[in-house]
Amino acid sequence: MIKLPSIHIGKLSMLLAILVWLSLLFVDLVRLFGLLNELESGIAAEFTWVLEILFFLTVYLFYNYSINKNSQNDFLNLIWRAASTGIVAVFVSIMINLFYSLLGDSHLFNDPFLKNFFYHVNFALISIFLISSALLWKHLILYQKTKRVVKQWQAYELAMLGAMFFIFFNKNSFDYSFLFGFVLLVGLAVILSGNLKWIPYLTFREKWKSLLFLFIIINCCGYLFYQILLYSDRGMFVVNLTDNLFLVSLFSFIFIYALFCFLVTLFNLPTSSVFEQKLTEAINFQRLSQSIQPEESEEQVLDILVDSCMSAAYADAAWLELGDQESTKGFLQERFMEKEMREELSEIIQNQKLAQEWAVENKPENLNPLSLRLSHDRFESILLVPLVINKSAIGRMVLCKEVRDGFNKEMINIISTFVRQACIAVENHRLLNQAIQNERYQEELKIAQRVQKSLLPTKLDHNETFEISAYSNAADEVGGDYYDTFKLDEDRYVMIIGDVSGKGTSAAFNMSQMKGIFQSLIQLNLGPAQFMIKANAALSRCLERNHFITASIFLINTKEKNICHSRAGHVPTLMHQNKVGKSEYLGIDGLGLGILRNKQYENHVEEKTFKYSSGDILVMFTDGIVEAKNEKSQQFGFERIRTLLEVYHELSPKEIQTKIIDALHAYVGGDGLIDDDYSIMVVKFSDE
Amino acid sequence: MLTIETHKEDNHDLLVIQGEIDASNSVILDQKMQELTESGSKSILVDGSGLEYISSAGLGVFMSYLEDFQEEGITLKIFALSPRVFEVFKILGLDQLIDIYESKKAALEA
Repeated sequence: MIKLPSIHIGKLSMLLAILVWLSLLFVDLVRLFGLLNELESGIAAEFTWVLEILFFLTVYLFYNYSINKNSQNDFLNLIWRAASTGIVAVFVSIMINLFYSLLGDSHLFNDPFLKNFFYHVNFALISIFLISSALLWKHLILYQKTKRVVKQWQAYELAMLGAMFFIFFNKNSFDYSFLFGFVLLVGLAVILSGNLKWIPYLTFREKWKSLLFLFIIINCCGYLFYQILLYSDRGMFVVNLTDNLFLVSLFSFIFIYALFCFLVTLFNLPTSSVFEQKLTEAINFQRLSQSIQPEESEEQVLDILVDSCMSAAYADAAWLELGDQESTKGFLQERFMEKEMREELSEIIQNQKLAQEWAVENKPENLNPLSLRLSHDRFESILLVPLVINKSAIGRMVLCKEVRDGFNKEMINIISTFVRQACIAVENHRLLNQAIQNERYQEELKIAQRVQKSLLPTKLDHNETFEISAYSNAADEVGGDYYDTFKLDEDRYVMIIGDVSGKGTSAAFNMSQMKGIFQSLIQLNLGPAQFMIKANAALSRCLERNHFITASIFLINTKEKNICHSRAGHVPTLMHQNKVGKSEYLGIDGLGLGILRNKQYENHVEEKTFKYSSGDILVMFTDGIVEAKNEKSQQFGFERIRTLLEVYHELSPKEIQTKIIDALHAYVGGDGLIDDDYSIMVVKFSDE
Repeated sequence: MLTIETHKEDNHDLLVIQGEIDASNSVILDQKMQELTESGSKSILVDGSGLEYISSAGLGVFMSYLEDFQEEGITLKIFALSPRVFEVFKILGLDQLIDIYESKKAALEA
């Protein structure tokens, strides 16, 4: 495969343009030589015209390419390019004139070849200036283009193309057809010159600069046109290149558009600040809406808000405070404002009747900015703007001006919009942070849940003479129910079940304390009543005033076959006596732990020892089971548990436990949630 | 739902409780008790006839004032509790610490 080298249009067209110009120069000089020596060179004038058109086209191609390549040209740059090309063309032209004036009346002065050479140089530069400017104008005209404008421009380009070839028809003479074509093209140029949408987007400074550049362009245009007229007056050239409809029309186009731009820019100067203001407002608005991103902080949003509002209202000073009007402990922004001044103004505002009514009367969501007159030696008017988030005022912004009645309706409108937008941004920011925070809490709770699960024993201590089973369920992620076992020796085991008042996280913390107390006290080989007394003393020091813990403790001696039991305010334990075939609740008094936080507690705790025989069952549980309610708001109650045990006493502890829990769920109803923690522990002494 | 009303009767403060007390609204009971102690009441009567249910959090509120009442010589009497609610007080052992009566009359006479 032959790989074609990629054609670089810019370089190629430039090279072609230079070549065409050189050949144009060569052809004309040859013809001149022939004319002077009265020889027939045999070169027709059409040949020159063809080369001239070719030159125009290659220059057009080059500039079209190079301008499009730098597409991010701003307006000022474009105009500067046109102006600088004009300056170069004019400079060279002046230099040539200077050169001739220096020559004086010498032989060289009259040399036709030199004159022709310079004529060609001038022609080339003028063409370059005009064509490049026309292409730059195209960019300006087609700014924010509509289909109509594009069509107009295409028509103009076509007409100009026609004008290039007009010379073949017109033979370079100034006649009516020339005039007709000229008027037509000027008309089109004038229509196109109405497209000046880019001007308002210039800033005040840029407008001044562009005025200067346009002035240069207009002058260059004028000077170069004058030069052309001089050349054609002298009439010493074999083939006139410059009396061309194309060039003359281009002159008029460049000139007319530059003039229009100049005048419009000039008259736009006084109002340009308004347009700039609106543009800044739009940009500020966008910044406010964009600042919702989580990485932006609330302060940044309010910072932008104060700046935006100040510039929108041309305020001389401002401050923004969060929190109540009385106590501004929150975030504070001050602009051109001292602390003393702020406090002084705040006081004046406080004493204004209007401001008082404004603060009291309306609901926060209906609050509008309030414009006030102020009797202060510096600031004469003031605007109070409430910051309202989620129907409550979170603070206010105060804008101050040194002129009286400085805030008009338009300003207040735009400021209200800014504030609303900023408040939405702040609100969203807060909500987002809250959501992130919540997510973290959820994670933390999951960890708490895992930790708490590990506080309940996975393996329940027992020996071959009894079986044991236990289950606990928390209403929330974590709960306050507790059960545990402890092996004192081969024959003696301790079982405890407890319930911390309240539920949720606080209960879970207290439950872990209970576990610590049980695990440490039980090793001291205390009797049940002594255990409760010590536990009460310990808990009295660490439970909150309105919290308490209930517990039941059982010390099982499998050798003696007896149970020593104490109850501290806990729901009574159910015992099934196999011999009698009956289930009964163990009746024993006892006060909850942490209720009496002094020595008197000792008087409120009992201890009972009783025998058990094989087949007997102990069912310990928490009030979550007893108090579980069905749809009719009736409690599950003690009696149901008792009956269940009498029915299912033949089963293993695990099965009994399952039966009771199933019955509980069935009672509460399929989807009915049991809104309290509940636990159950079943002990069954083996049949021997 | 829980509503608690306070009336002044002779030299007693009557606290009429209607509804259920659980962890979510036990604060209301706590506030009322707080108000009464701060107002310098010396005798508080609690009408528990309308109390349908009390959770451990509610019991915790009564419990937390026992010591203060003892120190300041304030008497607290509860009357007309439903059997089920009384059972709850009894299980916890609060019946040993708080005077609970069958009726208002019994409470006033005691």
